[in-house]
Amino acid sequence: MISFEANEEQTLIQQSVADFAKSTLAPRVRQFEADRVVAADVKAGAHEMGIGLMGLPEACGGQGLGLVTSVLVEEELGAADAAASFGLPGPGAFGRAVLELGTEEQARDWLADFAAEGGETRFGAVAWSESSPCRDRAGFVTTALRSDAGYVINGKKSFVTNAHSADRFLVFAQVEAEKGWGGIGAFLVKKSAPGVVVGARHDTLGLDAADFGEVSFDNVAVTEADRLLGGADFTKATLRFFAKQSLVVAARAVGVARFAFEIAREHCDTRKAFGKPIGHFQAVAFALADRHMDVESARWLVWKAAHAWDAKLPEKEALIATAQATAHALEASMRCADECVGLHGGSGFIRDLIAEKLMRDAKQLALCTPTAEQLDQVSAALDLGIALDPALVLPTPDVQAIFT
Amino acid sequence: MIDFTLSKKQKDVQDGIRSLGKYVIRPMSLSMDRNKEVPEQFLRNFMRLAKGFRSDDVVDPSEEGAAPRERDPNKPSETNRTSAIAAEELAWADAAMLLSVPGPGLGGPPIRATGTPEQKARFFGVFKDMDKGPLKWGAYALTEPGAGSDVAGIRTSCRKEGNEWVLNGRKCYITNGARASWNVVFATVDPSLGRAGHRAFVVEKGTPGFEIGKIEDKMGLRANETAELVFEDCRVPEENLLGGEAAYVSKEGFMTAMKTFDNTRPLVAAMAVGIGRAAYEYARDFVKDNYVLSRPVPRYAAIAERLARVGRRLEAARSLVYRATYMADAGIPNAKEASMSKAAAGQAATFACIEAIEICGAHGSLATEHALLEKWFRDIKVYDIFEGTGNIQRVVISKRLMTGLKAF
Ligand SMILES: Cc1cc2nc3c(=O)[nH]c(=O)nc-3n(C[C@H](O)[C@H](O)[C@H](O)COP(=O)(O)OP(=O)(O)OC[C@H]3O[C@@H](n4cnc5c(N)ncnc54)[C@H](O)[C@@H]3O)c2cc1C
Ligand SMILES: Cc1cc2nc3c(=O)[nH]c(=O)nc-3n(C[C@H](O)[C@H](O)[C@H](O)COP(=O)(O)OP(=O)(O)OC[C@H]3O[C@@H](n4cnc5c(N)ncnc54)[C@H](O)[C@@H]3O)c2cc1C
Repeated sequence: MISFEANEEQTLIQQSVADFAKSTLAPRVRQFEADRVVAADVKAGAHEMGIGLMGLPEACGGQGLGLVTSVLVEEELGAADAAASFGLPGPGAFGRAVLELGTEEQARDWLADFAAEGGETRFGAVAWSESSPCRDRAGFVTTALRSDAGYVINGKKSFVTNAHSADRFLVFAQVEAEKGWGGIGAFLVKKSAPGVVVGARHDTLGLDAADFGEVSFDNVAVTEADRLLGGADFTKATLRFFAKQSLVVAARAVGVARFAFEIAREHCDTRKAFGKPIGHFQAVAFALADRHMDVESARWLVWKAAHAWDAKLPEKEALIATAQATAHALEASMRCADECVGLHGGSGFIRDLIAEKLMRDAKQLALCTPTAEQLDQVSAALDLGIALDPALVLPTPDVQAIFT
Repeated sequence: MIDFTLSKKQKDVQDGIRSLGKYVIRPMSLSMDRNKEVPEQFLRNFMRLAKGFRSDDVVDPSEEGAAPRERDPNKPSETNRTSAIAAEELAWADAAMLLSVPGPGLGGPPIRATGTPEQKARFFGVFKDMDKGPLKWGAYALTEPGAGSDVAGIRTSCRKEGNEWVLNGRKCYITNGARASWNVVFATVDPSLGRAGHRAFVVEKGTPGFEIGKIEDKMGLRANETAELVFEDCRVPEENLLGGEAAYVSKEGFMTAMKTFDNTRPLVAAMAVGIGRAAYEYARDFVKDNYVLSRPVPRYAAIAERLARVGRRLEAARSLVYRATYMADAGIPNAKEASMSKAAAGQAATFACIEAIEICGAHGSLATEHALLEKWFRDIKVYDIFEGTGNIQRVVISKRLMTGLKAF
């Protein structure tokens, strides 16, 4: 039955994360931004609470909670500091990818220590994107060629979240050149493996406390055991990973949207011009009303998609719901943050207030996952019954190519 | 539990109405629009078929006033959610037909909310024997030539003379107003009192001094009747004052008649979503089947993108509809959420109907070949106007966001 009521356990978890976000993250947002990293004591606190471990299966030492719980939690983090939500410890995107693409054994081997002693210093990263498309064929420039002992990886990845903090990577590379996007594979590589070089950290528009950077692979050897086969259908498993990951980012975007809306509302309620609160001018009030609709509808769409995965609804349904929710949430958060700056007038532009950061973070969030445009291609392709190509969810300039 | 799946009952209602819509109503849609009429026999057939799909949870108007249905207190009501699901499906099939279905219509909620037990029995009793006798409607008459959004500005007057009330004035754009067995008519004892001066009457067809004026020729929803009502020294018995005199002692008493918007707006929003979805699906199927310059149209990323955008705006609106109806069922005040659903759905669906035409290209505007698209484009606009315009919904929302905001 259609219901918008979180269960008791979820409410409890949401409440405790909200408290943590408000009391621990929010007051130090600007510090994390300046340091470009979340402070160690905060990481330790988050680890102690198990914030990053909720989605991890119990077999790997986590709590085995569903996506609905994840999106509730991520919205709270996003509403305090979207950057910190990337910088808090836990298996994160790496964990989701390993769970989707790997075997139970691989998951245990590569994820269990996130929950163990010292977990607050462990990070993983997914190395998918490349800075420019492969010009002579479909697929990645980065290759994983077969060798006697397994594979040898060569190439460079860009825009890798947690590139610098990660001690392990999930690397996507071309295994069979002639098969295009159907010929890619996924490999687990430790940062300590010979030939792995973490390159420059990108200077970004927003989400300063999250690290994004380049990782190069120079004749890095991996064994067959560290290739993730994605179960029955590698492409579908990859898509599922991207979908679930983007939903988590969407939940953070809902948090940003909510925060931006709340402080804009507050400001318009108190700031006076022409003798009355600016919220009493219709143009201002209606803008707020529209943003309120944005926040709420984005949240419900994210919940709906998360529920579709948890309830194991048909995959097509869950994918469409996810693509719609994420595209809507990313755009909604940008509209809310933009309006938040605008409604603050000149002060919105000044760094004393958080508004300008929200606007930068919102834009950055929208680029940390398949973009709204790409997600729209996914939902349209699914609804039109066009065969899905992994390139659809590939965050590179190559994306549109499959449609021409 | 956070859940977006329909209950078994709702699924049955949805499936039943969906196939009824597809195989029975849709094929009639264009001729009804052209003839500006929903044939009586068709309405009778529909009502008979629809009975089979009626969820126990949806109130049968003819039973209103009878002994209240036993409800398991541990089982929350799903009425508003189920009605929204049904409304979306019916509007998908034909919106004008949905508005023309016999029954109390928009006149039902205020009587349900404010009517005395006798009034409920009397006015809902009218619909009892439609199986055998003539079809009957109820209607809701608030709008006047000089006051639509500005409800407080109505000028239709009422004054008490003996045990009768005397009404004078005009109402316009009243859905099913001419054919209605009774209209819930809003009038004022004194315009200077604003809403405190308002009274609501149930005016029965044939009451002396009550005449039907113009029947409007409309852009869309042409198969549904929209009428002008004229009151000239119209004498209404005091028993027809909705809720009785006692209801007007406090201001809240009367406000319950207006609060019915909290239940009806999400339904109107659901209808809008239904029309928008019809247009979306039409454009999607067109794009799937048609080739432009020997390439399948969906190969153009920009078209796919537009389609997806339409789809997700409708989905966002639907989520607000579900939210508003969920709150109504749970007894949580939902005025703001009801308005959000209506504002979002009215816009999203209008956008969908415009985009659908553009996505189909020149074809989309060919009334001969793609008459349904053209029809939905004409039908949808009023969903952003009646039951409160998009701007008025935003006024309602704003008042609940800002401290001390009374009006603009
Ligand atoms: C980088 C920068 C450089 C600047 N340089 C200069 C300069 O050189 N000289 C100078 O004098 N000033 C300067 N300013 C100030 C700038 O002109 C003001 O910030 C601007 O006019 C807005 O005024 P405010 O900040 O007081 O916002 P407010 O007037 O408080 O407005 C806040 C919000 O309310 C809305 N609003 C206000 N009144 C109404 C209304 N009646 N109806 C509808 N909406 C309304 C506004 O559109 C805005 O969205 C500068 C500002 C910045 C950020
Ligand atoms: C097909 C159809 C069926 C209808 N059925 C019924 C019915 O059954 N019963 C009934 O009572 N009425 C009915 N109506 C009337 C409908 O509810 C009104 O038309 C509607 O409420 C708008 O009122 P109005 O036409 O007087 O426009 P106005 O109130 O004059 O509005 C004109 C424009 O001004 C804007 N506006 C007005 N006030 C404000 C404000 N404060 N702030 C910002 N913008 C504002 C509006 O948004 C609108 O865009 C029907 C109308 C149609 C077309």
